[in-house]
Amino acid sequence: MKAITKTIVVTAIFALAATACGGGGGGGGTGTATPTGGGVEKGGTLKLGLSADVSNAYDPQKEYAALSFEFFRCCLLRTLVQFPGLEADNGGNELGPDIAESLPEESADGLTYTFHLKQGIHYAPPLQDVEVTAQDFVRALMRESDPEASAQGYPFYYSPIQGFDDAAGGSIKGLETPDDYTLVVHLTQPTGDFPFRMSMPATAPIPPNPSDPSAALGVAEGHTKDYGRFLIATGPYMFEGSETMDFSVPADQQTKNPGYVPGRSMTLVRNPSWSDDTVRPAYVDRIEVAIGGTDIDLANKIDAGELDMDLSGVPPAQQIQAWQADPNRQDQIHANPSDGVRYLTMNMAMPPFDDVQVRRAIEYVVDKDALRRTRGGPLFGDLAGHFIPSTLLGGLNSDYDPYASPNGQGDVTKAKAEMAQSVYDTDQDGICDAPECKGVLAITDNQPPYPENNAILVDNLSQIGIELDVKTGDRYTFMYDKCLTPESHAAFCPSIGWFKDYPDALTFGPPTLGSESIGSFDIPLAGATPEQLKGWGYTVTEVPSFDDKFAECSAMALGAERLQCWADADKLIMETAPVVPWLFDKDVDLSGDRIVNYTYDSSAGLASLDHLALVGGGA
Amino acid sequence: MAQLRSEPDIQTGTGELGGAGEPGGDREGVTGRSPLELLFRRFRRDRFALVGVVFIIIMIILAVGAPVIAKLVGHAPNDVSFYRQMSNELGLPKGPNLRLDFFFGADTVGRDVFVRVMYGARTSLTVAFVATGIALLIGVAIGLLAGFYRGKVDTVLSRAIDVVLSLPVLLLALGLVSACGATQQGCLAGLLKPGLGLVSLVIGFFSWPYIARIVRGQVLSLREREFVEAARSQGAGNLRIMFREILPNVAAPIIVYTTLIIPNNILFEAALSFLGVGVPDTTPSWGRMLNDASQIFTVAWWMMLFPGLFLFMTTLAFNLVGDGLRDALDPRTAR
Repeated sequence: MKAITKTIVVTAIFALAATACGGGGGGGGTGTATPTGGGVEKGGTLKLGLSADVSNAYDPQKEYAALSFEFFRCCLLRTLVQFPGLEADNGGNELGPDIAESLPEESADGLTYTFHLKQGIHYAPPLQDVEVTAQDFVRALMRESDPEASAQGYPFYYSPIQGFDDAAGGSIKGLETPDDYTLVVHLTQPTGDFPFRMSMPATAPIPPNPSDPSAALGVAEGHTKDYGRFLIATGPYMFEGSETMDFSVPADQQTKNPGYVPGRSMTLVRNPSWSDDTVRPAYVDRIEVAIGGTDIDLANKIDAGELDMDLSGVPPAQQIQAWQADPNRQDQIHANPSDGVRYLTMNMAMPPFDDVQVRRAIEYVVDKDALRRTRGGPLFGDLAGHFIPSTLLGGLNSDYDPYASPNGQGDVTKAKAEMAQSVYDTDQDGICDAPECKGVLAITDNQPPYPENNAILVDNLSQIGIELDVKTGDRYTFMYDKCLTPESHAAFCPSIGWFKDYPDALTFGPPTLGSESIGSFDIPLAGATPEQLKGWGYTVTEVPSFDDKFAECSAMALGAERLQCWADADKLIMETAPVVPWLFDKDVDLSGDRIVNYTYDSSAGLASLDHLALVGGGA
Repeated sequence: MAQLRSEPDIQTGTGELGGAGEPGGDREGVTGRSPLELLFRRFRRDRFALVGVVFIIIMIILAVGAPVIAKLVGHAPNDVSFYRQMSNELGLPKGPNLRLDFFFGADTVGRDVFVRVMYGARTSLTVAFVATGIALLIGVAIGLLAGFYRGKVDTVLSRAIDVVLSLPVLLLALGLVSACGATQQGCLAGLLKPGLGLVSLVIGFFSWPYIARIVRGQVLSLREREFVEAARSQGAGNLRIMFREILPNVAAPIIVYTTLIIPNNILFEAALSFLGVGVPDTTPSWGRMLNDASQIFTVAWWMMLFPGLFLFMTTLAFNLVGDGLRDALDPRTAR
């Protein structure tokens, strides 16, 4: 065809592709005012969007992300104790009983906890005739002790239980069920925050299999890899079609729960067995979750009224801008502290990051204000000067900012002063000149705003002579794969965030910088032994360890002394500088026009789905 | 009746009239011209093609002079120091701002779109010329061999051409560039490192068959001409015949079809970069700039308009030139 025609056609196709992939944002629909006051009505179908599915198909022993924690807490699984799904200043971080009648009795020496269960609580169909008993919680912990079943999860939280580390999926010595409604837990050492650990979904009860009473793991037997597809609910909701599951046939012939199609959709309907629950209001009748699409696509759907909320991402800045300008939607923009930190990690076994002076130089040089701006600015949180959020330290360390810079924009002068003391800066001019500072392998997420973050970090670090070799890829299949694997020698992983697992500073210690989390989120390899380092091919023989400090604080009972211990641990972390914290994160939600009673679940760091209701009951 | 004044448009490949033509013969009416000379004479009459040439020359000047332009404007292509000035509180970019010398506005990290478009010209033109050069070398070699030797050689080479033409181009290119671009070492023990070189190689690899086919066809018809027999009777070997007799006479179509491949290769690189598997992040590319813009152009139209416009105009210019050359090659096909 003629040159002009051909060129026009091809460019038009390009433009169309760009539009299709990007979407035209800001639909411009006017929001209707959400009714204030008055009764919140039950009923209706809540329509949610997620740009990406959870990574372990709702297997409770494997899932370890805020999104799955919220769906487990609000809707699917009850535990012995639980948080109410409210804002922090509304009691959201206060533990209360759920299936247990009350909080556990603790022995004087702190080594024994006793839980008394409510009676008459039944599982969702098809096991509506099966009552929840103490043995069901033992079953969950047995599965948690199986390294294959709890891969990518958090089994280390239950190591203090006697016999847990040796159980490997079998019986656990320290768990006792004197009768059907009593669970006694014996610990090897005092663990002040232990009751919190029994709120996590990995401890949710697993029912026995009525067709196979001898199965040690009950209905989870034979489903080591994917129990989430056969999940039996205890919460106000269950996956639609759960009742069609048949546990009388062998495990490999059982049909999966039809209400959840991984990567595509999830539908929750009311659980007819749900009863005796003071924690969850559960207003809506049905929750439909559509999985897939970019945040821009989901934003367009919310503006158009096809979806009520996007749960997964950060709302696009242009959508926030449009809503901020819309007088009818002012109270539909929500920003709540998520007790989380976004930070950059440095592999302390990879030169030049094996030198603390280099790490401290980077602490000074990073322009945290610019990083936050790429995410959407001050709405998305306060700049972080230290690692453990002060909300978990009872307010301690809130003025502690050892690497402070003017407006958080970075301080090149101080950075150079640190770098000049490094062995990698041979002429001591503050700019690294050793070959180790060139081609430093950085592994990052490829979704916005991480590519923008990379541009800023490349610029920042170049000012002290560090040249990053930036690789981007999918968060789960590429970035976590490389950053969490010590053998891959990733030096710099900047797209990292961590959120509390429960309201105790311990959840920021061992899971992120403890040696038991190497191969998981201890990306800086803190606490690695010389043998381990050699085995992974590193030339560096020694890295700092925080294990002793963490063990000291973990043993303490809850109270002021424990808080002070963790505050000191925070200072030790910042002095050693394995990470550069830059944002105390806020969760920003834009709730659709139909939503009333928006509530924030501070325990999970997301909207509280069991508290959301629809205007007019969804009529 | 008047004598027709037009040159004798003898569509000939005969070297007799060409290589041995009377130098500067100024007899009325009939002047010996080589096919190349004819090509360029006719080309000069095509106004659109000339506009294309001028545009390409301008783009080359801008591309070569991109660092100078960046210095004059005061913004390096990856300079993020103006991020706070050229974005609002939510981090959304600001548009053209003459006071700060941001003629085309800023992108999502405050980089100068104008300077990046200039550097993007470097990427597009480099890839276009290098990739096309690679395609040219391989295509001419294979086409010459296939057309000249015929028989088994031709069969094997022609099947090779068919195979490469049948490969799923985009999928393979995506796979190759992302696999070899994922690690520091690259593929083939460090031979294929991520970057402009790898992308050019990949694009060149997928475009040589077009040239090979054209060359093969031309060579097949040429090798039967008398001048080849004449050369052979004078004792010329195969290689000499291929390079001194046949190749010069295939030059014209080669030039034409090579030029027509260039816009495809420019768009190919843009597509790969748009999909995130083209040149590395630090190298500005019109394709990736379009990708960056795709999420945000509803509030930042400048991020899409300028790279898109330059991509469009450059591709159009090469298409015009190529069309002009093709029309000049064979006026019977001119529209």
